[in-house]
This record gives sequence, C-alpha cells and structure tokens, in this order.
Amino acid sequence: MSQLEFAHVTKRYGNLEALSAFSLSVNKGELISILGPSGCGKTTALRVAAGFESCDEGRLIMNGHIISPVPPHKRNMGMVFQSYSLFPHLTVTENIGFGLEVRKMPKKKRDETVANMLDLVRLVDVGHRYPHQLSGGQQQRVALARALAIEPTVLLLDEPLSALDAKVRIEVRDEIRSLQKRTGTTTLFVTHDQEEALSISDRVCVMDKGVIQQVGTPRDVYENPSTNFVATFIGETNTVELNGAEVFVRPEHTRVVFDAEPNSYRGIVRSTAFTGPTQTVIVELSVDGRLVRATSTNMVTDNWVPGQEVGIVFDHVLRHTNSPA
Amino acid sequence: MKRSTPTWEWLVIGVISAFFIVPMLAMSRFALQRVPMSLLGRSTLFKRWNIKGIINTISDDKFRPAFLMSARLGLLTVVVVLALLLPTVLWLHLRAMKWKMAAEVVSLLAYVVPPIALVVGVSGAYRNTFPWLVSSEYGLVPLYAILCLPFAYRTLDAGVGSLDLHTLVNASRSLGASWTYTFRKILVPNLLSAILTTAFLAFAVVMGEFAIASLLLKRTLPTYMVEAQGREPQGAMAVALLLLVLTTVLFMLIGRIQKRLPNSTSQEIRVSP
Repeated sequence: MSQLEFAHVTKRYGNLEALSAFSLSVNKGELISILGPSGCGKTTALRVAAGFESCDEGRLIMNGHIISPVPPHKRNMGMVFQSYSLFPHLTVTENIGFGLEVRKMPKKKRDETVANMLDLVRLVDVGHRYPHQLSGGQQQRVALARALAIEPTVLLLDEPLSALDAKVRIEVRDEIRSLQKRTGTTTLFVTHDQEEALSISDRVCVMDKGVIQQVGTPRDVYENPSTNFVATFIGETNTVELNGAEVFVRPEHTRVVFDAEPNSYRGIVRSTAFTGPTQTVIVELSVDGRLVRATSTNMVTDNWVPGQEVGIVFDHVLRHTNSPA
Repeated sequence: MKRSTPTWEWLVIGVISAFFIVPMLAMSRFALQRVPMSLLGRSTLFKRWNIKGIINTISDDKFRPAFLMSARLGLLTVVVVLALLLPTVLWLHLRAMKWKMAAEVVSLLAYVVPPIALVVGVSGAYRNTFPWLVSSEYGLVPLYAILCLPFAYRTLDAGVGSLDLHTLVNASRSLGASWTYTFRKILVPNLLSAILTTAFLAFAVVMGEFAIASLLLKRTLPTYMVEAQGREPQGAMAVALLLLVLTTVLFMLIGRIQKRLPNSTSQEIRVSP
C-alpha cells in the first residue's frame, strides 16, 4: 500500500524547473533512495515531501490524504539533514526528547522513549553530553534517533552520510538500514552516492534534471538501465561500437585476453591499476582509438604491461545507445 | 610550545593601557581627593581621599529621578530594539537574503543623521500630530532605538549568521514545532549571547546619551550630570567614574555568562571517536 505519493509534482525556481511532473509512490515500510547528480532535483523532492517547499503543480498524498497544503510541523515526518542539525544548547537526551515534548508526551513516557532510542542507536552512555562533545557519526545517529522517536509516518534522510568520513559512513549507513528494517519506518533517502543507494534501498529512483529516469530495484537499475543516463550514471560503462552499433558494456563484462580469440577486438594496454579487491586494465582499441576499462577480481593474476598488444572480449552488452528510453 | 610575547607587543599593550588608565587615575584623583587643585602634587598623593563627592551627588534630590529615568529608558530601548530587530534579522536570513544589503544600509542611518537633524525632524513632524512623542521623556525611546541600530543590527546579524539557521529551523519544524515554539525554544537560547550583548550595548548607549536628551530638554542621567558639574564638579566626576566601573563590571559579567552558555565555542570541546 502506498504511504507517500508524489503525483505529477512540479516545482519551479524562476525559469528553472527543479521537478518536472515528478511521480513516485513509496510503499509502507519501504526504503526508497532518490539518486542523481548535484542539481538533479532530488533534495527539492525531499523538501517538498517535508513541506519546506510548496509544489507549483501536482499533489502530495500521504495515506490517502492530500497533504500539499499542510505545514511542515503538522506532517509527522522525521528528517535527518546533511549538516549536523542537533540543537547545540540541548543535551543528547533533550535533543531526542524534543519532538516528544512538542507533542506534550508525559515526562515519564518521554524518558522511556528516549532511553529506548538511545539504546536503539547504541549511545546509552552519551545521553548527558552536548552535541559539540560528540563525533560526526554519533551526531548523525542521535539525529536519526531524534527523527525516529516521534514515530514518523515517513522518515526523510537528506544525504545524512555525506559529512562523515569513509569508514564511519559505512557504519552509519548499515545502521540506518538495520534501524529502518527493525522499526518498519517508510523511508525516503536522498543521496548522490550510488554505492550508498544500491546497498541499502528496496528501490532506487534515479533522477536527472528534475525528471525521473528509472525506478526499480538496485539490481534492476544496474543491470537493466532504461535510459542512457541511468546506464552511464550507475556504475561504470564503456561506450564501444560493436557490429556497427554503439553500445554500453560494463567493465566487469569486458575481458582482456592474451591474443585474438573469436569475437575479440585488438587493442594496446595503456595502464593498469590495482585497487585491492579488483584490478583494472585500460586498453586503447585499435579500431577507433577508444579507451575501454576492463575490471576483474584480484583472483585474476594476469600481468598486463602498458604497451602490450592484447585482445578484448565484450561478454555482455548492457544497452544499445539508441534503444528507446 | 608556548610562544613568549615579544617586547614590542608588551610596548603596544603598555601604551594602549596607559592611554586608558592614566586619564582614569587622574579622574579618580580629581573626583575622590579633597585637595585644592593648586596643591595636587606628589606630596599630597595619599591625602584626604574620601567619597563625600559621590554621596553628595547621589543624595541630591534630582539625582535619583534622573538615574531611574535613564535606567527605564535604557530597559525600554532594549525591549524595543530586540522586538524590532530580532524577528527582522531572522526573517532576512531565512526568507529575504536579497534585502540584507538594504537592511545593512538602513541600519547605518544613525551614523549618517546627526542628533540635531533627528531632533529637529522629529519635533517638527510630531509636535502637532503626536505631541506626546515630543513632550514625554519616553518619546526618547524610538530615537534611542534608531541610535542603537548600527551595532544592534550587526551584533544580532553576526549571531544569527554563526548558526546553521535553516537546518535548525527545519529540524525543529519537522519535529512538529510551530514557528513560535521554534523561536522560543531553539532560536532564543542559541542567540542568547548575541541578545545579551545587544541588550547591554543598547543600555550603555542610553545611559550615556546626552545630545538628544539635552536638545529635547529631557532630564536624564547625562543631562543631570552636566548640570551638576557646575555645582559639584568633583561629585559629578565621581558618579561618572562609578558608572564607568559599573559598566565595566557588567561587561565582564556578560562575558562570563557567554562563556557558560552550552554552545559557547570557548568551552572545552571533547570529541570521542
């Protein structure tokens, strides 16, 4: 059942159309990521959902009710922001209890809920601290607890991991997913990081220039991109000409072989890179000089040398560039 | 490693301190030492110090009403300035950044318009239409509010600018708080430092403002002190000194309060991994 629905929502800033007839339905208990490059309108979509922006056209529907005219404080949506948004003058406990205090929850029940939330985000020991006494990861976990404490109808996450360093980011990302599953909270997650989106979402909504390009499961958008934008934006792709047609091929479906195999193309190794779990070889195709990238696991121990003549095999075509969108 | 302060820095500090301290010492001696001017010298340095001058001035019948009037005007000005500027600055930052430049220019008007122009303008415009504004002492409050605009605006603007205002407001709103609740529970506590500084500066300006009060023939502390200087020059000087000390103490007190505020940057920052 759809819990939140954007129905042909259009939002303009002057001449710029940040959202064009944006239609997306978020099911109950589902985590949907809105993924796209900077300026694609993903944050605008989230702000429209939160009520911080009005929509110029279309409607926003929550549990069957049109909520477009409802002010933000009456929508019961929890939100975690990109920048640290904890109230600096309140302790962790007071921050988490803020939304409950607004709702006039009795103190005893409020304290219980806050304690449960602290337990949920594994921060029981820091309840008395102020935000400036916490690390970035802890601050975002508190922000998450604060948003979940009010038992929001929909949880909105606006790039909550982008201010964190790589290791903490993965920790908090996994924590968000685990909490979301445990609480069953319907969640809309905005990110520009595809790995983030693919790893924690039930479905991914890929956007570009205010328009939805594709909505599907992570595997679906990766393996069956429905537009050229999705093919090139999600993961890496080589653009090559095969049998007279221009196609996209994933680097992991591009194989370097010692010499001419049937269906192989000739090329010269330009560079190699070892990245730990994978290794990448960049080869210049002899036929048209295009550079292609071939990625294999580090189990493949072939030692390619720049300048070496090799064969290239494309095992699987991702998409023809002129396929209909 | 701790860096030692070079000699020239001490020299600069010394010269600046002397610039402030020497006149104050001279002022103290003039105000609190009952020695005729002609006899003031090294030999009389420690003779006949007493606070009779202060007591004489303070116990004067006209001192108390003038002091209380200035204090009342100061408090009212603080209220008017904050009530006017705090919502305006917040609104500018949240919704109308394009108007910020214009607001800054307007806030500087008090520097450009001399007190005499303000007084002539106000008394000319309101004498017949709204005479209370000219006749009552409290008519000074709007004029003092204009006088406080330049620094009050800047102090509040800097305070608001140092906050991630949009995020704090949006976070509060998304958690269910109305605008007024957000203002009371989130914005005011986080701007307390800027609010206190603004209030203190506005109060200090009113307590020392002479030109406008004198031109409008109002009896405030500064106009009383100028008048008392003729009768009891030492006493008036002693009261001026007392006010200076009180202001300094108040200023230091506000500094301490600001340090104790939970979001003060001067607090120890402990970050755990």
